Amino acid sequence: MLDIRGVSKRFGRVHALDDVSFSVRPGEVFGFVGSNGAGKTTTMRIVLGVLSADAGDVVWQGRPVDAEVRRRIGYMPEERGLYPKMKVGDQLTYLARLHGLPAAEAGAAVQRWTELLDVGHRLGDEVQKLSLGNQQRVQLAAALVHDPEVLVLDEPFSGLDPTAVEVMSGVLRRKADAGVPVIFSSHQLELVERLCDRIGIIAGGRMVAVGSVAELRERDGSTAFDVQGPPAGWAADVPGVLSVDGTRVRLAPGTDDQQVLKAALAAGPVHEFRRWRPPLTELYRDVVKSGASA
Amino acid sequence: MSAPLSANQALLLVARREFTTQVRSRSFVIGLLVTLGLFGGIALLGGFIAGQSSNPSLGVTPETVSLQPAIEAAAATQDVALRIEPVDDGPGRERVDTGDLDALLTGSAGGYELLGRDTVDTQLQAVVGTAVQQQALAGALAESGVDAAQLAQQSQVAVDTLVPADPNRGEQLALAIIGTVLLFISLSGYGQLVATGVVEEKQSRVVELLLATIKPWQLLAGKVLGLGAVGLLQLVILGVIGTVAAAVGGLLTVPGAAAGMFAMVVLWYLIGFFLFAALYAAIGSTVSRQEELNSVVTPLIFVLMIPFILVVNLLPNDPRNELAAVLSFVPFLSQTVMPARYALGVAPLWEVGVSALIALVAVVVVVRVAGRVYENSILRTGARVGLREALGRPAAGPADPQPSTRSSA
Repeated sequence: MLDIRGVSKRFGRVHALDDVSFSVRPGEVFGFVGSNGAGKTTTMRIVLGVLSADAGDVVWQGRPVDAEVRRRIGYMPEERGLYPKMKVGDQLTYLARLHGLPAAEAGAAVQRWTELLDVGHRLGDEVQKLSLGNQQRVQLAAALVHDPEVLVLDEPFSGLDPTAVEVMSGVLRRKADAGVPVIFSSHQLELVERLCDRIGIIAGGRMVAVGSVAELRERDGSTAFDVQGPPAGWAADVPGVLSVDGTRVRLAPGTDDQQVLKAALAAGPVHEFRRWRPPLTELYRDVVKSGASA
Repeated sequence: MSAPLSANQALLLVARREFTTQVRSRSFVIGLLVTLGLFGGIALLGGFIAGQSSNPSLGVTPETVSLQPAIEAAAATQDVALRIEPVDDGPGRERVDTGDLDALLTGSAGGYELLGRDTVDTQLQAVVGTAVQQQALAGALAESGVDAAQLAQQSQVAVDTLVPADPNRGEQLALAIIGTVLLFISLSGYGQLVATGVVEEKQSRVVELLLATIKPWQLLAGKVLGLGAVGLLQLVILGVIGTVAAAVGGLLTVPGAAAGMFAMVVLWYLIGFFLFAALYAAIGSTVSRQEELNSVVTPLIFVLMIPFILVVNLLPNDPRNELAAVLSFVPFLSQTVMPARYALGVAPLWEVGVSALIALVAVVVVVRVAGRVYENSILRTGARVGLREALGRPAAGPADPQPSTRSSA
């Protein structure tokens, strides 16, 4: 398990991270979301030791993350970076060797990953001659080529075409299924919702919510139902109803939905009575709003 | 599965990448060829000028031909290889005008004239002047009954030196200049490559990926070692080709001196390279783009040029120049001045050793400071990193070299 414990970081007078804590379990894909400047990249850089934390620590399997552990992390920085004039194959082999792979294994791993990511035919080309999408695939290969125990990917999906998104999602899922904790950040919330087992929402340098999408939906214990049929205003005086927005009725924690249904039937015919499960985009909006006002 | 990687292995991997990338690059081969061409050109030019200036020619008219024996005698004592041709006045003037003759001696006793095209060779003036004087003197002496030959013998001054004159002075000077030029080219060229490489990694952002794997000092040391080795390789190639060519061409008569100077150049290249490469890397790390690099490395190029210019201007005429002697112990200057003084035979080995030790102390200090600047600056993109931020304690900066010691505390 990868634990981020109470990490804080200041840049001059800006409090970039304030007591950030969360865990990523083996076999889990963890989605890290938040607006620009919320602290995602800073957190990932601290995990990789590219930045140092002012307080708190990062622990992998009960051990503080040091240079030796970091070598077994696969990292894709937000600022993509490869040597522009170095050949794809040479570059990936070099990075694999820096991660401690012996020469022969490094060569084989480069072959395997570039073929899997569909850039195997470009091994002899300079990186700068590749399209941006293909450069991104090479960048992902650079994060994977040493068979990492942990994957930390900053915006791995930005700028990818739909095919590449599928390939990338498949790879992340497969690595997680093999027991690797995978953290990635993204602004594509639908993708995060579909791909991630758990999600962390960061705002203003603080973690405002962590959990599965289901857990995030029930964060405050309230539930919502879409009710079609009864005349408008039927729910105004029903006990337990917090708010009504068109056909959507929000119930206070612990409210018996059957009692609400009965009240609806008493007001008129009910054609539809359906639990509303907000998508991550809506959850995110609510969480960030309440986080900001808190 | 990845295995633990020792600090040295990481460093060597980086150094090997720098070395192979550079040696395989087109610029390495071109640089080598250009340098060889430059040296070949200088040698040819030198030979051409030497060939031009020797053997001045003088025309003598029927009126002045009687001076020919005296002129020949004066030329012989002054060690000038002079070609004398009797010509008539008119054709003689034409031949001076076309450059066929360097000068024409006309007129008669009491009114001799040495005619040149736009200038008259100073050696020629001296030789002819002496001859005319001696002839006048001999005439006057004969009139007063003094034996000219006897007088000459009595008035001779023998010239001698305490230390035997070094017959190889010219060759020593050539070695000193070539060594100085080689050092200047290697130090400025490969120092610049270090700075360019640092900025390339910063500009392409690959440095973040690298620093997630290895420590900043490993990356920096690997780069400096790798590029330093390429510079050494170029130096050795040039040295060997130059020595062989000079020996084959008969220019080199003291191979021992050449070998000594070669060893000296290699020694001072190594010291100077670490000194300047560290500075180039530190300065390179404070900017984010190659375009900004030129303006910030200019001061370093000046520091490299000053001793180079001093050596070329002071030492040929005055190998024992005191200013040069003092500067040959000053770090940042010694790597150029000391080998030149050694080549000229004015610096004994113990002086070289002392100067090298002083420079090594400077290397240790500079590498530490430069390493700190590099660590503080390498991940900072955007505006140029200020001096105070760059020199601050690394732990306070964003690029802590050992974040784990802090985060695990």
